[in-house]
Amino acid sequence: MIRMLSMLLCLSLFFMLLAGCWSRRELDELGISVGIGIDKAGKGYKVTTQVVSPGEIAAAKPSGNRAPVTVYEATGETVIEAIRKITTMSSRPIYLAHLRVLVIGEALAREGIHKPLDHFSRDHEVRTDYFVIVAKGTTASNVLKILTPIEKIPANNLYLSLDTSQKEWAPAATVTLDELISDIVSDGKNPALSAVKVVDKQIGQTQKNIEIIKPPGHLRFSGIAVFRDDKLIGFLNEKESKGYNYVTDNVKNTVGSMACPNGEKIAVEIMKSKTKVKAKMSNGNPRIEIKVSMEDNIGEVECQIDITKRETIAELEKIAERRVHDNIMNTVKKVQRDLKVDIFGFGEAMRMENPAAWNQLKQNWNERFSDLDVFVTADVKIRRIGTVANSFHKEGEE
Amino acid sequence: MKNNDTKAEPIKEELKENIQKIKQDLGGSDDIIIREITFGKDDSAHAAIIYTDGLADKKLITDFILDSQTQKSYAEELDREADRDNLLEALKALALNLGDNKEIADFRSLYNAILSGETVLLLEGYSVGIAASTRGWKDRSVSEPVAQSVVRGPQEGFTETLRTNTSMIRRKIKDPNLWLETMQIGKVTKTDVAIMYIKGIVSDKVVEEVRARLDRIDIDGVLESGYIEELIQDEAFSPFPTINNTERPDNVAAELLEGRVAILVDGTPFVLIVPTLFISFFQTAEDYYQRADISTLLRFIRFISLFIAMVGPALYIAITTFHQELLPTQLLISLAAQREGVPFPAFIEALMMEVTFEVLREAGIRMPRPIGQAVSIVGTLVIGQAAVEAGIVSASMVIVVSITAISSFVITGYSMAISVRMIRFVIMGLAAAFGIFGIVVALIALVMHLCSLRSFGVPYMSPFAPFVPADHKDTIFRLPHWAMSTRPRLINQRNVNREQTSKPTKPADRNNQGRR
Repeated sequence: MIRMLSMLLCLSLFFMLLAGCWSRRELDELGISVGIGIDKAGKGYKVTTQVVSPGEIAAAKPSGNRAPVTVYEATGETVIEAIRKITTMSSRPIYLAHLRVLVIGEALAREGIHKPLDHFSRDHEVRTDYFVIVAKGTTASNVLKILTPIEKIPANNLYLSLDTSQKEWAPAATVTLDELISDIVSDGKNPALSAVKVVDKQIGQTQKNIEIIKPPGHLRFSGIAVFRDDKLIGFLNEKESKGYNYVTDNVKNTVGSMACPNGEKIAVEIMKSKTKVKAKMSNGNPRIEIKVSMEDNIGEVECQIDITKRETIAELEKIAERRVHDNIMNTVKKVQRDLKVDIFGFGEAMRMENPAAWNQLKQNWNERFSDLDVFVTADVKIRRIGTVANSFHKEGEE
Repeated sequence: MKNNDTKAEPIKEELKENIQKIKQDLGGSDDIIIREITFGKDDSAHAAIIYTDGLADKKLITDFILDSQTQKSYAEELDREADRDNLLEALKALALNLGDNKEIADFRSLYNAILSGETVLLLEGYSVGIAASTRGWKDRSVSEPVAQSVVRGPQEGFTETLRTNTSMIRRKIKDPNLWLETMQIGKVTKTDVAIMYIKGIVSDKVVEEVRARLDRIDIDGVLESGYIEELIQDEAFSPFPTINNTERPDNVAAELLEGRVAILVDGTPFVLIVPTLFISFFQTAEDYYQRADISTLLRFIRFISLFIAMVGPALYIAITTFHQELLPTQLLISLAAQREGVPFPAFIEALMMEVTFEVLREAGIRMPRPIGQAVSIVGTLVIGQAAVEAGIVSASMVIVVSITAISSFVITGYSMAISVRMIRFVIMGLAAAFGIFGIVVALIALVMHLCSLRSFGVPYMSPFAPFVPADHKDTIFRLPHWAMSTRPRLINQRNVNREQTSKPTKPADRNNQGRR
């Protein structure tokens, strides 16, 4: 008994001493990177990383005169080399598991993104749940250097602002790395990423920026960047981005304004939206049917109509349907005409519904895409009119 | 041993010699009172009354023994009997007006009687004595149980006197089938140990096993039921207690009704209960006095506490040193901020705090009561504030250690709480070396060990393993009393029906009744 016990004790000691503490890292030995940016630099890449300075963010009494995050930059032949090179400046190794955003500079995006992304999909430490965005008209490095108000971590600001605007306004695309990669790989869909703009980068990089009540330097999402395979080819504006989100069924909640029958404006809040894309072959030609069904609330009435009447509501529903229809059609037309890439996943829809036809079509899908027949039907139901009935202001009473 | 044998020699007829021997054997101890008296016709009868001062009730002795021999009326009666040469019988029948007396013939039983508080009467010319039960010593009155208090339920706890304790159980179960067996264990202390069970409900095999294990004990002294527990438990090397103890009579009564055996030891309020299951340590008497729903909820809380108390600090260590990706980003940053400037690795930090807490806890128990306050003040300041402000430990570690400490108090069985405390340190070490992998391996090993345990033949983990569906009415859940119709199946297999009360129903609708 004693013999066995001491044997066991020795064995467990061996285990502890030989294998124990493998890859142990204390929290204060991590350079928690929340944002990483990749730009072109000669033949290689310039990697910019935003590392949290925990003491400034979560401590009970932050010193206040140090930036909440630090940005390190390094260039290397490959992305991983550049990341490792950062340790020549940083006291802690870069820890990527808590990455919130990956920013790609426009120049690099136009050249193609599949090479630099390989490390992020291969490394075990990096998760795939962060958003990938494109820096519009600037470098990723500039995007990550702007200090933001309210959120102390700028990368977190980017993440949350993208997430909220997607949920409440719907002009952005929240694309995570795994989604992006599957879009690049897919024949029937080309990737589209949110684009971010930097406003006033000079002040934005200083602590002074967040001392001003309306920070002059800030980041703003503006539309969607369209890719052919992995190369950036153009941008959609805000309205088109919304149309894109209608087609890809990514609208959760948004607001749209439209004209009243008498010309003035009325705004509706889209509470629910569901899009179904059907791909069919008719007479040997592919044909796409998009069906959008929405539930709206009336959000703002600026014109003189009696919304307590059933007929008015029915009329408004008609107008809203036409508006959504037009919006989607315009977006699709523009993409077909100008960009000529299938970012909507029509090819994917065809593959799912008619794999045999898809096998024929996929060879030159992007060419076929440009003259696809697309039909949109919208079905809008206005459910609620808000806490008041008609607008409180009556014309001609003054 | 040799000394013991000589004491077994028979009592002699000569009173003087007997007294001489008693004095010599007991070393002339001052608390042994030997009174020589003469009575009867012409003071012809010589006798000695021997008792231990403090153990025998003096009032009983004066009222019933000394008085009866000196009173005139008795004296005459005695004289008549004495003529018939049967003084001893006469004394037994008439004089010693006590509930219980017996004849003793040898010195060993004589000493035994004296030293357990009985009074021995020796007569000149007789080689037998009479031992009259005059036990009566200062003992603690029945008071609230200290270790197992309840909000609702009886507020009485066992005392140090065996007889008081058995009477408290008898008062709860007035059934002729409640049987009691007493034996003496301890070569020197000769401690009374009683086993109690309800014949017909208990499994006879278990009773036999208990008897056999108690008979096997060969020890000089039994000062507390813990001695017995260690000597009869199933698994000598296990951190888990396989015998439960309680100081609540209602607890014992409930366990007896489930078919268990209670082992009462004189001199301690803690009664052992066998067989014991793992689950017993998470049930309290109050579970059955409160309504079923709240009892169930409280049991859930106890199981969660068990988990926290066992792996709380280990999980913290493992996650913060190996699996940082498991934490939400905000939490990671805030934890990292707290660890900023802390000089030790998380494991050392946790170990320090845990040890500090254990020291404080021990100090709180051992300290003289008036100084107890000081411990808590120092403890709060040292652990709570100063250590964090000095930057030696992180604030989150203090939270983890405190929640662990509080959780370990929630486990109702104190002996189980202690084993959880020990295991916690082992799991912490494994977590520091191997991360969550280490914790999982430790938990698997624990479960395997628990499933291998038995308590008096009953699998320790039943009704989980082996799985007994019917017994789940009173394990994690506590169903209402009307639903718990059977007794635990593995404890006893004969008399399994507990009750047949039907579920309470609403009174019939008044209107319907009218029509009928």
